[in-house]
Amino acid sequence: MEKTYTVIPKNCTGCRTCELACSMVKGVDGNLGHSRINIYPTGPDRFMQMTCMQCIDAACVSVCPTDALMRNKETDAVEVVEERCIGCALCETACPFGHIHFDELKGIPLKCDLCGGEPTCVRFCPHRALEMRR
Amino acid sequence: MRFTTPTELADKSATLASTDRKIKKRVLVCSGTGCAALGAFEVFDALVEAADGAKLDLQIELAPCADHAEPLYATKTGCQGFCQVGPLVHIQPDDILYTKVTPKKAREIVEQTLQQGKVIDKLLYKNPETGERIAERSKIPFYQNQTTIALEGCGRVAAESLDAYLAAGGFAPLAKALTLTPEAIIGEVVESGLRGRGGGGFATGRKWRSCVAAEGDERFVICNGDEGDPGAFMDCCIMEGDPYRVLEGMIICALAVGAKRGFIYVRNEYPRAVSRLQAAIDACRAAGLLGDNILGSDLDFDIRISRGGGAFVCGESSALMRSIEGNVGEPRAKYVRSVAKGLYDKPTVLNNVETFACVPAIIRERGKWFRQLGTEGSAGTKAFCLVGKVVNTGLIEVPMGTPLRDVVFGVGGGIINDRPFKAVQTGGPSGGCLSEEHLDLPVDFDALTAAGSMMGSGGMIVMDDHTCMVDVARYFLKFLLEESCGKCVPCREGIFQLHAMLDAFAKGEGKTGDLAKLERLAEDVQVGALCGLGKSAPNPVLSTLRNFRDEYEAHIERKKCPAGVCQAITTFLIDAEKCTGCMLCIKACPTEAITGQKKKLHAINQELCTKCGACRLVCKDDAVVTT
Amino acid sequence: MTQILIDNRKFNAEEGETILEVARRNQIDIPTLCHHEALEAVGACRLCTVEITGEDWNGSTKLVSACLYPVEEGLIVQTRSEGVLRLRQTVLDLLMARCPESTVIRDLATQHGQVTEYQQFTDGSKCIMCYLCVRACAKLGCHAISAVNRGTLKEVAPPFHEHAESCVGCGTCATICPTGHIEMVDTAETRTIWKREFEFVTCKVCGEPLITKAYRDYALENRRLPNDYYTVCSACKKSELSGHFARLSL
Repeated sequence: MEKTYTVIPKNCTGCRTCELACSMVKGVDGNLGHSRINIYPTGPDRFMQMTCMQCIDAACVSVCPTDALMRNKETDAVEVVEERCIGCALCETACPFGHIHFDELKGIPLKCDLCGGEPTCVRFCPHRALEMRR
Repeated sequence: MRFTTPTELADKSATLASTDRKIKKRVLVCSGTGCAALGAFEVFDALVEAADGAKLDLQIELAPCADHAEPLYATKTGCQGFCQVGPLVHIQPDDILYTKVTPKKAREIVEQTLQQGKVIDKLLYKNPETGERIAERSKIPFYQNQTTIALEGCGRVAAESLDAYLAAGGFAPLAKALTLTPEAIIGEVVESGLRGRGGGGFATGRKWRSCVAAEGDERFVICNGDEGDPGAFMDCCIMEGDPYRVLEGMIICALAVGAKRGFIYVRNEYPRAVSRLQAAIDACRAAGLLGDNILGSDLDFDIRISRGGGAFVCGESSALMRSIEGNVGEPRAKYVRSVAKGLYDKPTVLNNVETFACVPAIIRERGKWFRQLGTEGSAGTKAFCLVGKVVNTGLIEVPMGTPLRDVVFGVGGGIINDRPFKAVQTGGPSGGCLSEEHLDLPVDFDALTAAGSMMGSGGMIVMDDHTCMVDVARYFLKFLLEESCGKCVPCREGIFQLHAMLDAFAKGEGKTGDLAKLERLAEDVQVGALCGLGKSAPNPVLSTLRNFRDEYEAHIERKKCPAGVCQAITTFLIDAEKCTGCMLCIKACPTEAITGQKKKLHAINQELCTKCGACRLVCKDDAVVTT
Repeated sequence: MTQILIDNRKFNAEEGETILEVARRNQIDIPTLCHHEALEAVGACRLCTVEITGEDWNGSTKLVSACLYPVEEGLIVQTRSEGVLRLRQTVLDLLMARCPESTVIRDLATQHGQVTEYQQFTDGSKCIMCYLCVRACAKLGCHAISAVNRGTLKEVAPPFHEHAESCVGCGTCATICPTGHIEMVDTAETRTIWKREFEFVTCKVCGEPLITKAYRDYALENRRLPNDYYTVCSACKKSELSGHFARLSL
């Protein structure tokens, strides 16, 4: 892994461009998808970007009964292999940070996969509050 | 007594055989299912009681006796085959066969035959053609054309007694096998050309050999006794009548393939088979013929009975194994064969009851001997259940390659009431119907398959001209519809739709073009289904379509059932020229739909007629006709 | 490593792989209804049937289910031969007659062009007996449901059609069902499925239902997670933790 996904809360203005960008690329057929990143206000003019931390010993990976969550060796992101998911939703409840959302309609979990190494949110953040750092 | 060496077994067998030879008169009462239902057990009890009354010492066990004694001996045997005229009592050494024996006749048999050595004429079999009474069993046409191997002991020895089996030379083949290498045993079976008697016809020796070659830390031997074809009862008779032979075959197989555990899968509808097999297993365990160090050798093998819940599909090998494991009995695709991955995914040999019953004789007489019986591709003999509109129904065993005609008209004695022969269904519900043109077909695996039917497990249902082939196909499809496990789409839904179409034909609701639809779907089920049962399920449709297409066309185009069976499109009439006014039909009609006076033409009131066909059945002049 | 031919193209395959696995990996479309990568193949729908032959088969061919057939050296596979397409169509025609209400089946049938109309079932059932629910339940270790009865009466049910004792109400069966046949009713407090009512664990913060209590207990016992794992919903976890993280980042 060459670069690490990094959040810089002090740069965040709460504009939520990242959420919109994520929804756009993760949505289907022109519909907005569920954003894998969320912005929470933490004080006056203070914001915190919350998204998957791709934990090293990830609870979602270990709880999955079918190995449907696998680490991408190139990006180090934990990705969902949709074909292997049986929809038990254990990963959603197992994530201690609340970063997996189980989509009832599709029957699969949604989580950040770092867009294959070049996160859209990073590209669209106007304030350099999200970065891929070496 | 527990045998610890083959010599001990041989000694005991010799002692029992010499006792057996001293028997002056041997009364063998058939206690197969058919005769039992007709009261064979009561006959046996009455015989024992009558002998008691006559102060005769009638033994019912093989007991040691003084050198000059000439004991009388009576026992219950397995099926003697001629179910049509049961209960049967066979008296040896005179070879007298008494038919249709009732408990009331017991005293007569004891006094006349046992005490005075006289033959009771009116209990003898009467040849329907010549009217002559035949005393000797071996001269009755039904028995004359038979050769028995699998049924060797069935009906000849006491079904429940290990001693009787030993006296008849039982377990000597096992002792012999213990002196051979596993490869030599398999070589013998390969050389015999024995093919699986359960339906598939796979070479038994080759199956055993591939099991040995398969990798696995444990191997199993399974005996398939889940006989479910309507009208078939061969395996039932063997399990009931000669359980030790089946066990011996399994033990020899275990020795050859290196199995430690065996299972016999018997359907629970065969309670007598279950109890006799269990008794036989217990006796074998006590005698050191099952369990650890069989006959003092290194062979450890034990057998457990697994009772089936009566699902036809559990006769399919992979479903049977799932059922033994305690899972739902559903077949699975056999792209990896069960000899390599069978029960609990371990190498498994699964053979049918009759196949195992052939093994002891093959080891005893050598493979070559078996090989010279039968035909090129199908060695040995085959047991059949001859049922339907045939004069002599029952259990038979004939050499492979016997022409169908000899079976139906020779052993079977032809069609009841001398009606014309129409078809014979072989291979059970998933077999096919063969017509008159096939009568000279030699009955063996390949010839039957080539004719569009199959050997199956050996059911043979004979049909006369009063049988509608559309109705026959519909009947078998109904059976298969209920017995399909429902796992795969072509079988579950396909059979349903095939049956629905046949149902419509029988009601006269078939449309032009339906035959093509029926044929296409039948072919698709044949290639598309998951297991062998599904693949063979359309056979009744396809074989009747091939051989009796005109009947289908009559149902669809003319809305008529030529055989007068399908009630919705049949009308019963009385032929004015043939009716003699005998009033038989009037008496037979359950709805009083027939009117007429003695020696005057009768008439059927169509409004009252339920088209049951009772009138046609009783009419001696063929005056009841259908349109 | 073996080489096989699918639709006249050569592919490498590992020993033990099925035809379907090799085909899917190489973007060759073989339709399936009962197949799932994470579950043991059953070969029930027969939609993935393909035609196989080998060079030394003397021209004879065989129709087999791709999801079960293990590849062997020199195998020649046709995924769109006449026989394959005909069987595929028949399977879909039969399923259309079985559950005309199901959109999944209707879409597939339309795609393949329905040809023969069979007598339709009118019971409104959408079950196509793909066994996905049964296998998923077994995979999770519950074994609460299985296939019962035979023939066209075959259905998925808990033992003896009684309320499913070993069911924990996880809802996986309803989620994985491709036709929406399995009935699951959720209210704010309870979930009803397989004749049983389950109470939800609700989020400590917002009160939203999380998972059923039985499922939580089952997961805690069988998946070795800390006892306080299932108390707060995802959204509240994030919201709560955002403040915590903000303080950390200062």
